Amino acid sequence: MTRLLDVGLEQLTVMVYKSGEVAENAIRVSIRGFINGKDATETVHELSDILGSMTVDIENKAFELIAKYQPVASDLRIINSYMKIAYDFERYGRYAWDISFTQQKLAKIDKCAVSSDLMQKLIEKVSEMVGKSVEALKQHNAELAKTLADTEKEVDELYFAYLNKLSNARGQNKCVMCNLLVSRYLERIADHTTYVGEAVVYIATGEKISLR
Amino acid sequence: MSNLKMRSINLNAWFGPKQALKDINLNVKTNAVTAIIGPSGCGKSTLIRTLNRMHELVIGAKMSGEVLLDGKNIYDADVDPVMIRRRVGMVFQKPNPFPTMSIYDNVAAGLRLTGIKKGKNLDNVVKRSLKQATLWDEVKDDLKKSGTSISGGQQQRLCIARAIALQPEVILMDEPCSALDPIATAKIEELIVSLKRDYTVVIVTHNMQQAARVSDFTAFMYLGQLMEYGETESVFENPKNELTENYITGKFG
Repeated sequence: MTRLLDVGLEQLTVMVYKSGEVAENAIRVSIRGFINGKDATETVHELSDILGSMTVDIENKAFELIAKYQPVASDLRIINSYMKIAYDFERYGRYAWDISFTQQKLAKIDKCAVSSDLMQKLIEKVSEMVGKSVEALKQHNAELAKTLADTEKEVDELYFAYLNKLSNARGQNKCVMCNLLVSRYLERIADHTTYVGEAVVYIATGEKISLR
Repeated sequence: MSNLKMRSINLNAWFGPKQALKDINLNVKTNAVTAIIGPSGCGKSTLIRTLNRMHELVIGAKMSGEVLLDGKNIYDADVDPVMIRRRVGMVFQKPNPFPTMSIYDNVAAGLRLTGIKKGKNLDNVVKRSLKQATLWDEVKDDLKKSGTSISGGQQQRLCIARAIALQPEVILMDEPCSALDPIATAKIEELIVSLKRDYTVVIVTHNMQQAARVSDFTAFMYLGQLMEYGETESVFENPKNELTENYITGKFG
């Protein structure tokens, strides 16, 4: 027999997965805009706002389930983790918007963003991590989530190498500033993918681990 | 001093041919609340009744194994079961004050049996017991009223006061809130948590949230076996046994 809690948990799960898809899309759109030198601010801002209200809805639903059913064990781990993950997805959206906003405000320069291999690699790695975090969540796959730790180290190395390179850069200051900030936002997104990964591991195994 | 007040070792119990407990090895820590949970018929009540030798009062009941109280087997031939029941008190599911006795006499009844007949000493123990059971303020002006004239929740606290009056070391509670409303239940739960300062408490409950709220350790039983035992937080957050997980999340039971 289906528990009353199961109906609510299923609704919550759909909401969190949807939030993950919107967050992934927000990052994809902002990065595409950044790479192609196209202004994506409006679209990404809209997606970021949607993520903000989705987080509120997820929190409300989670509180409703806790109040009504006093869940324990795996049910409680899922609800607790979904609330955290919803916040991380909101942060994905916010950093996606920061990327577009920074590009639009500071750079307005076609393709200055991808003049570096390091930035290109950073974008690839972070995009890969975002996709992996959403997939690990959907599968409740702890092993997949744990792989984020290694990629996060690579992102950190790329980020610091890129910072080093930018510190010696000559030329357009605005472009340097833009790339500096965007690389920082990308590095922060990578951090949040590991938080999602940690929450997935907790859901699947009950283990509280750090992936950073 | 060991932090184990009681311990069962390979404890088995039967009602006639039916085995109710199978090789139970349970630790009961001193000045802590241990909750025993599990579906109906799993042996929870039988288990706590073996902890103060009440199980043997049932016709056809028998047991094997050991129950240690401060390291001494309570089933040894030289142990007086009446003394054990004094050291290990019991509060039952349904409040059962003595119906013909006043509130005062209900609390004093056990003491009178031990020879304290009347006087200031008895008054003091009655008052202290009612205070510890958080009932004093509500009944201090009505001590001569019948023990059954008060509400169900108050009657249950009166039964706890009656148990406390004998200064037991362990208090066993068999679903003490199952007949009470939420307010009375909350009062008993607060009382249970406060009692552990002075006593060791073992509580059988069907209410998962109650076990989570009041206990420090939780034991999950199923079909007469102890399936899982651990710190309550850990059992309710991340149970090790799949059966425990399924039971506490309401997937069976």
